[in-house]
Amino acid sequence: MTLRIDPEQNEVRALKQVANWRGKRVLEIGCGHGRLTRRLARLGAQVQAIDPDAALIRLARQGLPLSFAPRVRFHVGTAGRLKYPSGAFDLVVFSWVL
Amino acid sequence: MVHALHEAHRVLNADGILIDLRPAAVHRQVGMEKAGQYQPLSVMRETFADDYAANRSVAAIARQGLFKADGRVRFECNRTMDSLAEFRTWLDEFVTLGKQPSHSWLVRRVEQALHAERAKTRIVVRGSLDLRVLRKSTPANRSVGTDQR
Repeated sequence: MTLRIDPEQNEVRALKQVANWRGKRVLEIGCGHGRLTRRLARLGAQVQAIDPDAALIRLARQGLPLSFAPRVRFHVGTAGRLKYPSGAFDLVVFSWVL
Repeated sequence: MVHALHEAHRVLNADGILIDLRPAAVHRQVGMEKAGQYQPLSVMRETFADDYAANRSVAAIARQGLFKADGRVRFECNRTMDSLAEFRTWLDEFVTLGKQPSHSWLVRRVEQALHAERAKTRIVVRGSLDLRVLRKSTPANRSVGTDQR
């Protein structure tokens, strides 16, 4: 499969434009196979990434470079019932969810 | 959707930011790229009912005073594929998951265009994404949506 999404990296430029991600606690909702998660990690964020699809979460874990492993966690979960304490995150990203 | 936004509000800290990233309600364009040159071929015929519903949810949550809109960035997000099979796979998933009308006509059109090309050609789907920034409102900084009349 040679599907390439956003090879121009416009998404990264937009993300950089709206926030400083370095060291921020980020919850990504709807991470799918982790494409955006890896970009957020590359920007320096500490990411908790959730998706309701367990198969996609498995793929996301497999596709995560080892260098990002310390700051990325993938979990099966849904937006309507978040298993995190109040005030736990600096940023929440709805990734093609709404 | 509104419940999900309430949950996002709960887990954000007092200065937290919600990023709503999703496709803009604009029809995607499909074209061919050969030797770095893009040639448009056709425009997709998506429906945007879900996008409008999402916009209403975000507006509702803003009216409740939980978030305040703090900007939007629109940018182009392209997908490139090397074969008709890849394009068909992507389109099938897009139509199924997005509850979109059939685009089999588009597959035929892309197939014809590929047959007409001799050099290596890529299929490109051009679309726009909207990145909306919503800043969490707290009782201290809330200025709208708290009217209890």
